[in-house]
Parts: sequence; C-alpha cells; structure tokens
Amino acid sequence: MSGSLWYQQAVALWRKDLRAELRTRVALGSMGVFALASLMLIALSMLSLKDEVFVDALGHSHLAWDNPAKMALLWVLFCFAAFAGLSHSFVHEESTGTAQNLRLFMSAHAVYAGKLFFNFTVLGAIMLVITPIYMLLTGMQVGGIMVFVPIMVWGGMSLAAVATTVAALASRAHTSGALFGAIGLPMLIVLLVLIMQAAKLCYSAHIDTISIVKDTGGLLSYGILIITLSALSFHFVWED
Amino acid sequence: MATLHSPVVNKEDNQKISTERLTPQTAYHVPLWKALTGLIMSYVIVGAFFIAHGAIGFAEKGVAARIIFFHVPCAVLSSIAYFVGFFYAARYLLKLKSEKIKPFLDDYRSAAAMELGFLFCLLATITGSIFAGVQWGSFWNWDPRETSIVVMLLLYASYLLLRAANSLKPELRARLSAVYAVVALVPAQFLIWAVPRILATMHPTTTLTDPRMTSLSYKMVLYPAFIAFVLLFIWLMQLRVRMMMLWEQHRHNAQQTMETDYR
Repeated sequence: MSGSLWYQQAVALWRKDLRAELRTRVALGSMGVFALASLMLIALSMLSLKDEVFVDALGHSHLAWDNPAKMALLWVLFCFAAFAGLSHSFVHEESTGTAQNLRLFMSAHAVYAGKLFFNFTVLGAIMLVITPIYMLLTGMQVGGIMVFVPIMVWGGMSLAAVATTVAALASRAHTSGALFGAIGLPMLIVLLVLIMQAAKLCYSAHIDTISIVKDTGGLLSYGILIITLSALSFHFVWED
Repeated sequence: MATLHSPVVNKEDNQKISTERLTPQTAYHVPLWKALTGLIMSYVIVGAFFIAHGAIGFAEKGVAARIIFFHVPCAVLSSIAYFVGFFYAARYLLKLKSEKIKPFLDDYRSAAAMELGFLFCLLATITGSIFAGVQWGSFWNWDPRETSIVVMLLLYASYLLLRAANSLKPELRARLSAVYAVVALVPAQFLIWAVPRILATMHPTTTLTDPRMTSLSYKMVLYPAFIAFVLLFIWLMQLRVRMMMLWEQHRHNAQQTMETDYR
C-alpha cells in the first residue's frame, strides 16, 4: 500500500470507509434522521409564512417564502446534517486506533482525498434522498436545471471539503463533538451566502454571461480554495 | 540584562526575545514610536470632537458621524489583524516543514494578532451598531457589511476556541491553530472583499477610496486615526506576545519544580 500512488491509496481508503459505513450506517443514519426531522420542522414552521411579504433594507418587497428562501433553508438543513454526521470518519479512526495504521501506510494527501470523497459520497446520498422530499413538501421548484445541478454538486463538494478539514482538526483536538460545530459552522456562513447568490440564477428570467460568472464564480472559487489550502496543510494536522 | 530562555523556543527566537527586553527595566524609557502613538491617539480623540465639523447628510446634525473616527479604523484593523495572524501562521508552518524546529514565536505572534483581531472586530461591531441605531433607526439592519463583521467575529472566536481546547499539547495546539488560520483565510477573504461587493449595502463605499467624498476637516482626523490605531495594534501585539512568552516560561518552571519534587 505504501508503494502505490496517492490516488490509488485514496481510492482504497474511500472503499474501506464505504464498506465500514454500509456495515454500521452510523454517519448515513445520523445524518438521514437529522435531515428528515429538520425537514419536517422547517416545512411545519414555514406554513404560516406562505403568503407573507417582506420589505428588505433597500425598500424592495419580496414574497417571504419564495424559491430562493426555500433553497436557503434546504442548504441550512444540509449544513447541519453534514455537521451531525461527517465528523464520524475521523473520530472513528482515532477512537479505534486505526489512525496510526493510516499514518504508517498512507500519505497525508491520500488520507485527505479519501476522506473528502467519502464524505462527499455520504453527503451526496443524503442530498439525493432529501432534496426531492423537501421539494415535494415545500413546493420548491428546480428552476434552471443547468444551473441547479452544478450548484447542488459543487455546493455539496465545498460543504464536504469544509466538514472534512474541520473534522480532522476536531478529532486531533479530542474534543470533537462541541468543537466540530463551533469551528466549522462560521466557515459555512460564507458558503451559504455564495450558494444563495448562485441559486438566484436558477430562478432568474434573464441570465447573462456576466451574472453567471459573477454569481457562480464565488461559489466555484470558494470550493477550489478550501480544497487546495486544506490539502496543502493537511499533513500538519494529520502527522504526529 | 538577563534574557529569557524559554525551553520551547529555538535559538534564533531567543535572540529576538532578548532584544525585545522581556524583563522589567529599572530605568525604563518610553520609545519614541510609543510616545507618538499616545500623542496621535490623543489628537484623534480631541480632533473627533473639536476639529471635524458635523457631516452633511448624517443624523443629529452630523454629530453622529464622529463615531467613524473610531469605527472605521477598528473595522479596517479587524481585517488587517487576520492577515497578520495568517502571515505568522503560514510562516510557522513553513518553518516547521523546512527547519525541523518549533518556531513558537511565530505561533505566539499569530495568536496575538488573532486575539487583537477579535477585540477590534468586537469594537467595530459595537460602534457600528450604535451608529446604525442613530443613523438608520435600528441597531441591526442585516446589511452585508454588518453580517460580514459578525461572521469575522465568529471566525476569530472559533480560532480562539480551538486554541483553548484543554487537551492539546503546546506543539499540537500551535499546529492545529495555524492550519485553521490558513484554511479560514478563504471565508475571511470572501467576507472582507467579496460579500460586501456582490450584495447591495447601505454602507458608503467611496469614503476611503475617493478623497473627494471626504471633507478636509474629516481627513485631518481620519487619516491620523488610522496611523494611531495601527501603532496601537503593534504595541498591543508586542505586549501580548511577551505575556505569552512569560506565561510559557512560568508554566515550564512550574512543571520542572513539580518533577523535581516528585523525584
């Protein structure tokens, strides 16, 4: 294993984590239950907002419970669900003592890539199940499918990247539970703002090239920068 | 002069510490730049109320706008502090990689910058909220810049929280917090540069970039205010780093005493 290339190691780790997850279903189960329960809470609490109109700080009036607002709450749900279950992959390695084996036989880059793709797979599975149910319950529309799908995929990837890095930091600090949410969620507020900005494109009647670059560029660059900086600095977190 | 030889810093760092005079001086004289900081800050405080005229278009006949001499430098410093903290965090990690030593001085500097960033961020939030209450009739308006500064505050708080995790050894604590400072640069960058620009804001955007938008009496106070606050930041950072060094020395001495007693 130590002689193979980093991406082969990453794939091996991803497969190992996936098999372990399918055996116990701890991360999938906790995230799924959390997401479904939150979904019900959101759908119920937003019933009264259905016909409400609000005026923003600049004097423009909007429907309070419109498609961008529904999209925002869907992503809030994903953020909390991710933070309910994605720390499991690192915490599990530390608590069972297998982290030392990984340090011996795999490069830090391979571990980061493997964990990132595993977290993305789990989050993607949750998103695939929750999004249609959410749309059914709240009436959220897809809008432009060519914008909607890339936003969901890249937003999920960026969310998984933040969660992976923060989970590694929290598991090394041995105070994973409370610290994981506390240090991760402030980083996600910016991601949410960028997703919301990009999501407006799904529901805009006129989309020009400039607004596509402006609104999706932020989200795209955020994910790329987080993954790059995390990958570059991961071995400082991982190695003893 | 006795120098402090902390067990956790390397030789090069120790030389720097010795020049920074960690031990109390019997005949202490105030360095020129520190005296200058006091003078400029005094000038800014007096100037904010007696040199600058009431600003046109602001509440209370322009009197409310006087808070910008303290609010704007605090807000700018809260951003600068993150870059300083990031710079030393990155330098710590790079030294760790290349020199195989523990450059704790850079870690302390990074942490001190982050702590001061938190302080200035808090001050900017409070002064901004007071101004919003008087000028816009509500202490909180969910303006992008208001939101940005609060999220910056949360990022600083997260860094300090990670650093305060009790179970961490000093070396691991330094590494983890440095990595967090490096990775959280991405949301911090977006908060400082992107978010206030892609979302519509009630804040004036040309006060600093277009000199024609500011009157001479305001320039006479606002520009020195920036200098005074930057100097104050450097001074406070220096003091905080020395405090951390002394605390580490104290901790090490206590540990050694305990080990000796145990034997």
